[in-house]
Amino acid sequence: MSGSDIFSIVGSALDAQNARMGAIASNLANVDSITTPGGTPYLAHEVVFAAAPVAGSSDAPGIQDASFDIPAIPGDTASNDAGIDAGQDGVQDMGVSVAGTVLSNAAPKQTYDPSSPYANAQGYVTGSNVSQVDQMVDLIDSSNTYSASVAVLQEAGRVDQQMLSSFQVS
Amino acid sequence: MSVGFLNFYTGVLAVQQQRASLLANNIANADTPGYKAVDIPFDDALSAQLADPSAAPVDPQYRASATVALDGNDVSLDNERVESAQNGEQMVGAATFVRQSTADLITALRPNPSGV
Repeated sequence: MSGSDIFSIVGSALDAQNARMGAIASNLANVDSITTPGGTPYLAHEVVFAAAPVAGSSDAPGIQDASFDIPAIPGDTASNDAGIDAGQDGVQDMGVSVAGTVLSNAAPKQTYDPSSPYANAQGYVTGSNVSQVDQMVDLIDSSNTYSASVAVLQEAGRVDQQMLSSFQVS
Repeated sequence: MSVGFLNFYTGVLAVQQQRASLLANNIANADTPGYKAVDIPFDDALSAQLADPSAAPVDPQYRASATVALDGNDVSLDNERVESAQNGEQMVGAATFVRQSTADLITALRPNPSGV
């Protein structure tokens, strides 16, 4: 129970949103990528979060950087109840971590362009399966959460400052 | 020495501190699939804290009126931001009150208040 918990929690949130924005940037950069016939097209990366104790807190002394360890994510994230008991036993030092990255299973774009060297026998070029609109919506969502986290950070800093000045004996 | 209102405000600040962590956690998990926002009822937590300051903090509860999104997440970012700002303001208010009420107490504790 200390104010620094808030800073670790917000830190984990900023980290996670940063990873998500990185994936979105990569997806948008590859929106027009094309592949040779038979090759694997660029598939949109989607970062999945999970509620997890903040590294360094007393509850999770040995938690590793989750971004390098990508566990299998259940295909249907809508029914995934991970993190539902985040508030059990009065745990205070919680946070968020990147559980992994899933590849979108949307169909890749097919463009009719028989003159392209990448065209298949039917004259279609296989592109990525990135939806620009989806990515922009995701980016706005991510940016909203990021700024909310920053607002919490500023609020916590202000309260700490006030505490310091309130309890100083002049 | 036991000063009544100091004990009271210790409890108030402890509960507000716990709420601040929970609200920060809710905002951090605003995009976590399946996460449900939690909070503690202030009055219950404060009574528990005042009855036994060494007791474990009360268990957080899920928000009753939350709308659940398609991914199972029910965090309302706006709501959490408002709650967080409100909680911070209350903490500042409590700290200010304690400061003003303790000013005389601190003066009385000094061996030589006038400094002569």
